Amino acid sequence: MKYALYIFILLGVFLACRKDKVGYKATPYILDIPSHFPDMIIPSDNPMTAEGVELGRFLFYEKKLSGDNSMNCATCHMPQNSFSDPNQYSTGIDGIQGNRQSMALINMGWENFFFWDGGKTTLEKQILEPVINPIEMHESWKNAVKKLDQDMAYRNMFFRAFGEGGIDSTKAAKAIAQFIRTLISGQSKFDVMYKYENSMPLTAAEQSIFQTIDVEEWAGYDIFKSLDGADCFHCHNGPLMRVKKFSNNGLLPNAFNDLGRAHVTNNPEDNYKFKVPTLRNIALTAPYMHDGRFANLDEVIEHYSSGIHMSSTIDPLIEFGSQGGVQLDAQEKYLLKKFLLTLTDNNFVNNPKFKDPH
Amino acid sequence: MIKLISAIIVFMFLVTSCKKDDVTPPATQYLQVDVIPTYTNGGAMKMNLDSVYTTPEGHQVKFTDVKFYTSTLKNESINLLQSSLFDYRETGGIMLRTSGDYTKFANLQGFIGVDSVLNHSDPSAFPNESPLNISNAGPMHWGWNPGYIFMNIEGKVDTIPDGINNLDHSFSFHIGTDLYRRDFSFTNLNWLKISDSERKLNLKLDLWKFLHNPISSIDLKSEFLTHTASGQQPLTEKVISNFQQSLQPY
Ligand code: HEC
Ligand code: HEC
Repeated sequence: MKYALYIFILLGVFLACRKDKVGYKATPYILDIPSHFPDMIIPSDNPMTAEGVELGRFLFYEKKLSGDNSMNCATCHMPQNSFSDPNQYSTGIDGIQGNRQSMALINMGWENFFFWDGGKTTLEKQILEPVINPIEMHESWKNAVKKLDQDMAYRNMFFRAFGEGGIDSTKAAKAIAQFIRTLISGQSKFDVMYKYENSMPLTAAEQSIFQTIDVEEWAGYDIFKSLDGADCFHCHNGPLMRVKKFSNNGLLPNAFNDLGRAHVTNNPEDNYKFKVPTLRNIALTAPYMHDGRFANLDEVIEHYSSGIHMSSTIDPLIEFGSQGGVQLDAQEKYLLKKFLLTLTDNNFVNNPKFKDPH
Repeated sequence: MIKLISAIIVFMFLVTSCKKDDVTPPATQYLQVDVIPTYTNGGAMKMNLDSVYTTPEGHQVKFTDVKFYTSTLKNESINLLQSSLFDYRETGGIMLRTSGDYTKFANLQGFIGVDSVLNHSDPSAFPNESPLNISNAGPMHWGWNPGYIFMNIEGKVDTIPDGINNLDHSFSFHIGTDLYRRDFSFTNLNWLKISDSERKLNLKLDLWKFLHNPISSIDLKSEFLTHTASGQQPLTEKVISNFQQSLQPY
């Protein structure tokens, strides 16, 4: 009788606070977010796990996701190019060229819209797209999943990442999204300049980088942000080196007459507006703009200096548009470029955790 | 027997103890402040972004962005909110929405701009939902020591008398830095009842008065650009003081 009492109480305690039954429990993954960055908002239905990230890395470099097993995400998002493509237009498996330049995958976890026209609003949704796109990897998810399912290693990896058996496109997209969220760049010279300018404490390692920043780089930064200099900071700004918006930066419409944002909104006020890209690792991501029209940074600088094309939707923050641009002299152009090179983050490009695991 | 019964009672109690309560909490009262930008002499008609209007001089003008911060919103010693960001394009007319008791805010004081301590803090360190967090501030933070842009009005204007209305001239007013923070104090406020749990206050932002203030009008032909840089003080001063006068309870 006495025992019954204790047993009841024990049972009660046990039942009361019991957790739901789970299968394999994946290990939470702690993102290494630079101290001067805002938080990354992770969707609640796709928490970061070590197993998910690792699976995502395998899938990012997995050629089985393409119709003829010849292409993976990295074909057009190459690590050595800060996950962009050195070709002006990327060519899909059937040899068909797209009409937009591939985008560098940097700090994607802070983005709220994807593609040059912002046509997708989550990474998970965005990732489903290149696989089935006929001018990219051109494979149905059904087939891709079948191919993965034949591989025991993948069956195990999916089980560990999601705590249950079965492979599908949603899980694949979630895992790739997790991997892409780890592609964080925040260790360039610019980061040290940013922290210094905002009176944030520098670590010992940053102190030593600080010593290497020369007067020309500082002068270039001044030109970058000054109104009577290059006037760039309105759109390329903050720790992420971009602002969240669509903007027409005065490019002449191209042969495809790509309307950009207006494709998504059908609003003529959005004609020729494109997503403002980050300038991080910009030295590594040539060619430039949504159609890769500029082969190098000198051409980009020339555009903003004297090549502005006025139109009714041009951004008012291209403030000297009506005089063709900001009119930099040779010395200013040289210094501006010196500053743009401070945005290169070699730790990011060489990070072994981002490389092909196959 | 008694022991067994008491054990069962303890058991039942424990089993239910970790369940969530389903008591209805007392209804929260919400306060919303809307800003209605207008651009007509007298200020009765709502201004829409990207729509073309005519200045008193007969130039065509359109606004593409209207944004501003307020901070330290309170009524004497009762705080309402640390900061708000009005962004006409992104959030429409809403300036702020928070919980609060309207009877305590018959008067409202605060800054146009950002309190100087907040203005020089790490913009990534504010809570994610704070308008001051760099993710929400975006282009409203300069990225270096001056801190936040307190007020931002941008648009296009046709000041070239070529007979072609192509709005080929831009204007942009970006006012910030501690020196140009301004305050406001509204009294006898009329909080409209939206529902039992919600009250709303309308403010008017009279952009006609902002540009064509009878004693300090802004001539967009020559006064179209300030970023609060040195050398731009006269226009900066005029822009922020006109703005301050243009924002009033509806
Ligand atoms: C054939 C080349 C190609 C392949 C393969 C490819 N991409 Fe892309 N990617 C592009 C292009 C081009 C764009 C820009 C498209 C646009 O704006 O219409 C892009 C854009 C993106 C973006 C948006 C970035 C931003 O800043 O908005 C992400 C994310 C992305 N790709 C991820 C992936 C993933 C994941 C895969 C593999 C499943 C992949 N891509 C495969 C060419 C490719
Ligand atoms: C009004 C906003 C605005 C301003 C000011 C601005 N940019 Fe841009 N920038 C953009 C937009 C939008 C794009 C993408 C345009 C496109 O592809 O159609 C872009 C693209 C770029 C690119 C190419 C990035 C890539 O990944 O292809 C570089 C480099 C660049 N800008 C540098 C600069 C420099 C340097 C300045 C100052 C001289 C500057 N920008 C000023 C909006 C702006």
